[in-house]
Amino acid sequence: MMAEYDAIVVGGGHNGLTCAAYLARAGRKTLVLERRHVLGGAAVTEEIHPGFKFTVCSYVVSLMRPEVIRELELARHGLHILPLQSAFAPMENGDYLAIYPDEGSTREEIRRHSKRDADMAPKFNQLMYEMAFAVKPIVGMVPPDPSRPGLRGLRTLRDLGRHLQGLGRETFHHLTKTMTMSVADLLDEWFESDIVKAYAALNGIIGTKLGPQSPGTAYVLLHHYMGELDGAFTAWGWQRGGTGGVSDAIANAARSHGAEIRCEAPVARVLVRDGRAVGVALENGDEIYAKTVVSGCDPRVTFRKLVEEKELPEDFVAAIDRFKFRGSSGKVNLALDALPRFTAMKDPALMQMIEICPSMDYLERAYDDASYGGFSKRPFLDIIIPSTIDPTMAPPGKHVMSIFVQYASYDMPEYGNRDEQRDAFGNAVIDTLTEFAPNLKDIILHRQVLTPWDLEQKFGLTEGNIFQGELTLDQLFFLRPAPGWADYRTPIRSYYQCGSGTHPGGGITSGPGRLAALEILRDRN
Amino acid sequence: MADYDVIIIGAGHNGLVAAGYLAKAGRRVLVLERRERVGGAAVTEEIFPGFRFSTCADGSGYLSAEVRRDLKPDLEILAADPVVFAPQPDGSRLAIWRDTARTAQEIERFSQADAERYPAFVDLMGKLAKVVGGLMRVPPPDLPDVGLRDLRSLLPLAGPVLSLGRKNVNQLLRVLPMPVADLLDEWFESDVVKGTIAANGVRDLTWGPKEAGTAYALLYNWALSDTGLFRSAGVVKGGMGALTEALAGAAGSLGAEIRTGAPVKRVIVEDGCAVGVEVDGETPLRARVIVSNADPRTSFFELLDPYSLSAGIVRHVRSIKYRGSAARIHLALSELPEFTALGGEDPAVMLRGPIQIAPTLTYLQRAYDCVKYGEASPRPYLDLLIPSLLDPGLAPDGRHVMSITAKYAPYRLRAGGWEARTEAFADGVIDTLAEYAPKIRDVILQRRTLVPPDLEADFGLPEGSPSHGEMTLDQFFHMRPIPGYARYRTPTTGFYLCGAGTHPGGGVTGIPGRNAARAVLEDWS
Repeated sequence: MMAEYDAIVVGGGHNGLTCAAYLARAGRKTLVLERRHVLGGAAVTEEIHPGFKFTVCSYVVSLMRPEVIRELELARHGLHILPLQSAFAPMENGDYLAIYPDEGSTREEIRRHSKRDADMAPKFNQLMYEMAFAVKPIVGMVPPDPSRPGLRGLRTLRDLGRHLQGLGRETFHHLTKTMTMSVADLLDEWFESDIVKAYAALNGIIGTKLGPQSPGTAYVLLHHYMGELDGAFTAWGWQRGGTGGVSDAIANAARSHGAEIRCEAPVARVLVRDGRAVGVALENGDEIYAKTVVSGCDPRVTFRKLVEEKELPEDFVAAIDRFKFRGSSGKVNLALDALPRFTAMKDPALMQMIEICPSMDYLERAYDDASYGGFSKRPFLDIIIPSTIDPTMAPPGKHVMSIFVQYASYDMPEYGNRDEQRDAFGNAVIDTLTEFAPNLKDIILHRQVLTPWDLEQKFGLTEGNIFQGELTLDQLFFLRPAPGWADYRTPIRSYYQCGSGTHPGGGITSGPGRLAALEILRDRN
Repeated sequence: MADYDVIIIGAGHNGLVAAGYLAKAGRRVLVLERRERVGGAAVTEEIFPGFRFSTCADGSGYLSAEVRRDLKPDLEILAADPVVFAPQPDGSRLAIWRDTARTAQEIERFSQADAERYPAFVDLMGKLAKVVGGLMRVPPPDLPDVGLRDLRSLLPLAGPVLSLGRKNVNQLLRVLPMPVADLLDEWFESDVVKGTIAANGVRDLTWGPKEAGTAYALLYNWALSDTGLFRSAGVVKGGMGALTEALAGAAGSLGAEIRTGAPVKRVIVEDGCAVGVEVDGETPLRARVIVSNADPRTSFFELLDPYSLSAGIVRHVRSIKYRGSAARIHLALSELPEFTALGGEDPAVMLRGPIQIAPTLTYLQRAYDCVKYGEASPRPYLDLLIPSLLDPGLAPDGRHVMSITAKYAPYRLRAGGWEARTEAFADGVIDTLAEYAPKIRDVILQRRTLVPPDLEADFGLPEGSPSHGEMTLDQFFHMRPIPGYARYRTPTTGFYLCGAGTHPGGGVTGIPGRNAARAVLEDWS
C-alpha cells in the first residue's frame, strides 16, 4: 500500500479546510473529504427555497482568528465581512432597546433605560476587551499537559505565567473571577436596567445549556469579546453570501496551495495498522492511503465512529465518552415575502439583528423550561435578516430570516416522533416571534426547522452541539477534548484532530484547524 | 502605649481559635464579643424549656484535627454511623455507612453497577479531597504576583499532589470546576445514589447540583469530614455551644482574655495602621494588632472607614455574594418520629446521623430553581439532625430535639417580606417531611423557624450566609474574601481578618482562625 497523500482531512468544515490549507501551504499533498454535497460543515450557505439562500446552521462571524485571515490571505480568496451594526431587542411592555451604528446614539438609547448604565457601558466594554486581550494569547496556544508538561509545556506554562503577571493585578483579579462566575452576577455588578442586562447576557448563554444565572456563563460572554470587531456588548459581522462564503474562501485558499477537495465522499472509517493511521475507507468501499489522517469531526465521531475502540486506551475511551455535548439550540430559517413588522420598532434601519431577550427572567425561564427536557415554550431568539444588508441572499423585495433558538433538548419524546417534535418546536418559535411581529405568519413563504437532533443528522454535530462539545471550564484548554490529548494528537500515531472539539473551541474561528496543522507540521519535520 | 498585643473582634469559633493560637505564642490577647455569650453562630440555646438546640451552625464540619491537637479544647464528639439516612418517597431507603463495603450492599438495592463503582469513587474522591484539605491549610498565594514566600507556603501541598498520581492531577483540575451532578452522572446511574451524594455539594450554597463549582463544594465537605466520606456524622456533646465554650476555655487557659457584651464600634486607624478599637461607652483600647472575626463587608465597611479604602477594594467588597438560602427549623418532639423507610429497623440506630431528604438530582435542582426568581422552594431539600439520640441531655427524658436545615429559602423574597411567609414556609417543610414520616405532626410539641433574615439579625450573618460569603469558585482561594487580600491581611496595616469569609471558608473548622493567627505571627517581627 502506497500513500497517495501526505494528509487526508476528514470533514470539509471550516476547521478541516483551514487545517488543509495550512498543510498544503507547507507543501504537503493534501486531500479533504466531505460527506455532503456542499463544503463548510456547519458554516454553510444553501438555497433551501428557490431564490432564497439560507445560512442553515451558523450565521454570523466575529471570532475568526486574524492570523488565519492574514496567513491564508482570505480576503483575496473571497472573505468579505460586513459589520452588523444595529440590533433591536423588543421588550414585553412594548418598549425596546436598540443598538445603533454610532456610539453616541447607542449611548443615548441606553440612557433612556438608565443613565447610570449609559455611563457604565463604555467602562464595562473596556474591561471586557482588556480581559479578552488578556486571554487572547491562550487562544493561540497549544495547551500543555499540566500533569506531564515536558520542556515545551513548561516553557508554555512559564510564558503563560509571565503573561498573566504582565496583565496587572486588577485585570488579573477580574479575569479570574470572570472565568468562574455567572453572566447575571457579572452584569449585576455593572448595570441596573433589566433590558440592558438581558441584551448583554445573551452572548453569555448562546450555544450553552446554561441559564444566565449559571456559573461559567461570564466566560462564554468573554469568549465573544475575542473577536476583532469592536462594538457595544461584542460585535458581529456578516459574511457576504452567508457563512458558507467563509468556508468557500478558506477552500479557495487551500486549493490555491494545491489541496484537493472532494464533496460527496463520506468517510466510513480511518484505517489503522499497528497503531498508526494509514488512510481512510470511504463508504463506497474505496480506500485512500495517506501518511497522516486528520479529523475535523467532533470527538465522539473522531474516536467512537471513525476508529475502532480496540485502537484506543481504555481510559481515553472513558474520557471521550464523558465529554459532554448536550446540544441546546435549534435553528429556524424563513423565506419571507416581505419584511416583518415589529410592533415596537419605529426605525426600519434596525431590521438587521433582532434579539428576543425581553428580560433576564425571560432568559432564565427559557432555560428552566428546557433543562428538564423538551424545549422552551417561549424561547430566546437570536435573529438576523441578512437580506437587508446582503441582496444576494433573496430575490428583490423578498427576505430571509435566520433564527437561532434556545433552548431545546436533543431528545423530546414528549412531543411525539421526530417530525412531530420538529413541528411543535418550530411552532413555538413562530408563535413567540409573532407576539412581537404580528404579521409574521402572513409573510412566511417557506420554513426550515432544525432541532438539535436535526443538527446532528445534517451536520454530524453530536447531540446537536454547535461547539462540538460544551464550552464549560471542565472541557476547556488542556481538558479539551481529554486530559493529555489536548495538543491535537491522539493515541493513534499519525491520527490528528482539528475540530471545534479541540482548543480553543467553537465558533467560526479557524483556531483549532490552524493549531492542529502547525502541530502536524512539527511532527513531520 | 498598647493595652494588648492583639485585640480580636468577635468570639465566634474562628476568633476563639485565633485567640488560642496567639495566646499560645505568648501574645497578650483580648477577645471582644458583642453578644452576652461567646460562640457566634456556633451556640446551644434552650429555645423551649428543657429542649436545647444548636440554633445556627449544625456542625456539619467539625473542628480540624490540628486545632484540637494544638489547643486541646475540652469537648466530646459523639460519632454516628450511619453517616446518612436517606428515606425515599417510595418508602425505600439508602443508608451510607462508614464502612464502604456495607454501603455498597445498600447501594446494590438500587443498582448493581453503582454498588460496584462506589468503592472506587470513594477512593478517588478521598484522594482529591486530601489535596483540597491541603489547600485549605495554606495561605493562598497573592496571584498573579507569586513570590518565593508564596511558593514556600505551598510546600505542604506537594505530598498530597504527588500521592495523587499523574492522571489524577488532571482529574482534580477537571473536577474542581464541575457541577456535582455531572460528576455523579459519570459514576452512577441510580437517582437515589446521586441525589444522596449531591446534596452535600449544595448544602452550603445557593445553587442546585447542576451548577459549576458544586463538585468543589462536595470535595470541601469531604476534606473536612471525620468519616472519610462526603460529610461528618455525629454531634458535639452539649451542642455546638459546647464546642465554642471549650474553645473559649482553651484560649482562656492559654492566657487570652475574653469579654462579652462589648460591641466594637470601629477600629482606630492612625497613619494607615490599626492601633486600637472603640467599644461602646468605654475608653478606646489600644493594641498592636487588630483581628476581625466579622464578615468581610462588616470588617471593611463598618469596622474600617469605607472612605479610606480604594475604589477597587470598595467595589470588590460590595460585590461579595453572601446569599444565605437556608432556613433553620427547630422542633421539640414528644417522641422519635416514625419514618416509613425504616421498615422494622431500630430508629435509635438508623436516625443517629444526618437524615437527608434529597431524593434525586432533579428534586434538588427544582428546589433551587425557585431562588432564581426570589421564591422559596415549595418542596424543599431537607437536612435533619436529631442530636438527642446521641446526646440525651439535650431534651427531657424520652423526648427529642430535631433541627432542620431547609433549602431553599432566599434572603430576599421578591414578593413581600419574610414576616408573612415564614410560618407558611415552615408548614411546607413539615408537609414535605410528613411524606417520609407521616405522623410527624403528632409528635411536634413546639416549632421555631429562623429564615435567613433571622439568622442575620440573631447571629450577624449578613444575608444569613453561614459561610460569610458564598463558597463559589469566584470567591475561592486567592479571591476570598476579595482578590488581592486573601492572605488574612488588609490594606490597613495591623488589621487582619480571621472569619469564615477568608480562605478556606465556612464550616466550624477553625482553619481560617488558625491560618490568620499564623499570618499575624509571621508579620510580628
